[in-house]
Amino acid sequence: MNIETFKYDNKIVRAFAIATIVWGIVGMSVGLLAATQLFWPAANLDLQFTTFGRIRPLHTNAVIFAFVGNGMFAGIYYSLQRLCKARLFSDSLSWINFWGWNLIIVAAAVTLPLGLTTSKEYAELEWPIDIAIAAVWVVFCVNLFGTIFQRRERHLYVAIWFYIATAVTVAMLHIFNSLAIPAGWFKSYSIYAGVQDALVQWWYGHNAVAFFLTTPYLGLMYYYLPKAANRPVFSYRLSIVHFWGLIFIYIWAGPHHLLYTALPDWAQSLGMVFSVMLVAPSWGGMLNGLLTLRGAWDKVRQDPMLKFMVAAVTAYGMATLEGPTLAIKSVNSLSHYTDWTIGHVHTGALGWNGFLTFSVLYWLIPRLYRTNLYSVKLANYHFWIGLLGMMFYVIPMYVNGVTQGLMWKQFTAEGFMQYPNFLETVLRLVPMYVMRAIGGSLFIAGVILMAYNLYKTAKAGQFLAEEEAQAAPLTAAEDKKPQKLHRLLEARPVTFTALAFVAVVIGGLVEIVPLYLIKENVPTIASVKPYTPLELLGRDIYIREGCVGCHSQMVRPFRSETERYGEYSKAGEYIYDHPFLWGSKRTGPDLHRVGGKYPDAWHYNHMDSPSSVSPGSIMPRYPWLLTQKLDTAPLASRIAALRKTGVPYPAGFEQTAQADLQKQAAKIVANLKTGMVEAPPDREIIALIAYLQRLGTDIKTEAQPAPAKTN
Amino acid sequence: MIQNVLTHIGGVEVYGVISIAIFFTCFLGVVVWAWRLKPSHVESMSALPLESGAIRPETQTAQNHE
Repeated sequence: MNIETFKYDNKIVRAFAIATIVWGIVGMSVGLLAATQLFWPAANLDLQFTTFGRIRPLHTNAVIFAFVGNGMFAGIYYSLQRLCKARLFSDSLSWINFWGWNLIIVAAAVTLPLGLTTSKEYAELEWPIDIAIAAVWVVFCVNLFGTIFQRRERHLYVAIWFYIATAVTVAMLHIFNSLAIPAGWFKSYSIYAGVQDALVQWWYGHNAVAFFLTTPYLGLMYYYLPKAANRPVFSYRLSIVHFWGLIFIYIWAGPHHLLYTALPDWAQSLGMVFSVMLVAPSWGGMLNGLLTLRGAWDKVRQDPMLKFMVAAVTAYGMATLEGPTLAIKSVNSLSHYTDWTIGHVHTGALGWNGFLTFSVLYWLIPRLYRTNLYSVKLANYHFWIGLLGMMFYVIPMYVNGVTQGLMWKQFTAEGFMQYPNFLETVLRLVPMYVMRAIGGSLFIAGVILMAYNLYKTAKAGQFLAEEEAQAAPLTAAEDKKPQKLHRLLEARPVTFTALAFVAVVIGGLVEIVPLYLIKENVPTIASVKPYTPLELLGRDIYIREGCVGCHSQMVRPFRSETERYGEYSKAGEYIYDHPFLWGSKRTGPDLHRVGGKYPDAWHYNHMDSPSSVSPGSIMPRYPWLLTQKLDTAPLASRIAALRKTGVPYPAGFEQTAQADLQKQAAKIVANLKTGMVEAPPDREIIALIAYLQRLGTDIKTEAQPAPAKTN
Repeated sequence: MIQNVLTHIGGVEVYGVISIAIFFTCFLGVVVWAWRLKPSHVESMSALPLESGAIRPETQTAQNHE
């Protein structure tokens, strides 16, 4: 037989591995800074660039796309070559992938603190960066499929299926969720509005978790776990069922992020049912991983890499049981908007993604450098510190979630709210926020230990940049042999990819298409009007400052919420909201009915110093809004962009917009005067007040003449 | 309001049923698929990650497998 000799590219794997560690430390540290501000608001250094609302998306983007992203590329590029018995398709593409991806991360690290954001969770980056992401992702896809086509191993191992599903689905999700009309270089408006935008966003957001944080890492599990345990996966048959079951169900489950919101009920129920069903394939995968170690548990005791792997797979099991539980409507009515969600995602992020990444790195680096790990003891310390850190992080969040959820809903025997002051429910959480920051610090300390350990390992070894390998090429004759079903599929990457794509598209279509049908059917409320120019700019400031990170704009139809906030939110109220700002966490109260609740001067003083108005408030100060001049120059282009998305601003509205804006600003300045506040009309705070006072008031104007019951 | 939306989409009630039916069929298909695989093929597939084709075995110097 003709044996070919070729070389595996280890250099690209090393580059991604280093980037993983560096960005991991950066991303987690930013998270710690954000966490600290929740009990010590002054930790924002009184700078707008380091205030919670702006760095929270920086943290999520850094840990998801920089830490896990680079970890995923490192793990995939190493295993893909070995599983295909072929060098990566193109060295240039590999490096474009590396530098492109990391430049995008740098761009994110610059733009997010500057407040350039779309505000859509995990998709905050503005449109030029979005286009770059799509381009780099295509490069990754070409490299992936190119390598697969050049393979010397006929059948595609299950890890590669997960890689393929990741590549295809992420491309689809990213493109559809990021569709927006630009209004200048770093501003755009989502083409979807209100309910549609919410549904598309959470179809994306949920599946970013599925296809960015889960499927590639399951692929890594299926490769590195058997490698480290030195035994084949427990059940290859189970892995087939796991794969198809998972990718098929995951995509339907997005609406569970929107339970009890203004989203139509059928979509909520669909999301809930599929979320519950998701337990089955997830646990199939977890058991498959854990059972691979049957009879090899002694290795787990000695090998820190396997310890991390076992803890990671267990955390995956915990998170994927908890997720469906939280997706049950009754549980969700308690947990949603609380810290419980934060605890849940960190079981996944720290436990599953973090530990699995560490496990892969501890395995990879000694092999790339042809040496032993510098210190097994240090790695063990890392494991225990990391695990402890995770516990200190997650448990306080559960306590907080349940505490606050119950406090929000508590009525006295007389039928009044027991805790009518929202702040009271927040202050109760502060000690747990301190604990959480301690947990986070421990986790980061562990990562720094790892970085040191791996650096010393690399120093002691000799890097093997090009690893020689041998394998026989595929022959055409074998292709012709009749084969059976899945066997055939394993040998046909194109058919396989097409089927996987169909599986994810069906779920996507079922979810999204009806929403297009509803477009005409969301009952329009006649009194709901587009924002005025000043309110529009105020809304853009609200987006820039990341207010949505702590404040929802969605009053759910519960008595506990209508008592606290007012009339519950209707789908028809959001038809001009590009993007939607429903939010998913209430560190502060809901704002959908805040319009008209307080005088203008209250807002002015509150933004200047929240704790002087609400003693003990953990909201940061926003003094810069009082001094910064409102930039009205982009008004025309923003109106034009919004008109393209379907907001009915009349033709020529741009010409009168400036005058309209001045008029409304003058009115607010006059209002402020009556509240003993002297403020010039051209400051950002004026626009923000205009927006806040408008929120949720449209239906009030309709209801005033005859307070009819709206259902 | 939510009820209004529901009545405005024709036949939305069958959506759930269709969804479950599609999923269940696919799931059964995959299970049958996996079930019918030849044991020898399954074995060779699960052994794939253990052979890298590298000339110098990767595990040679690793501390975990001495």
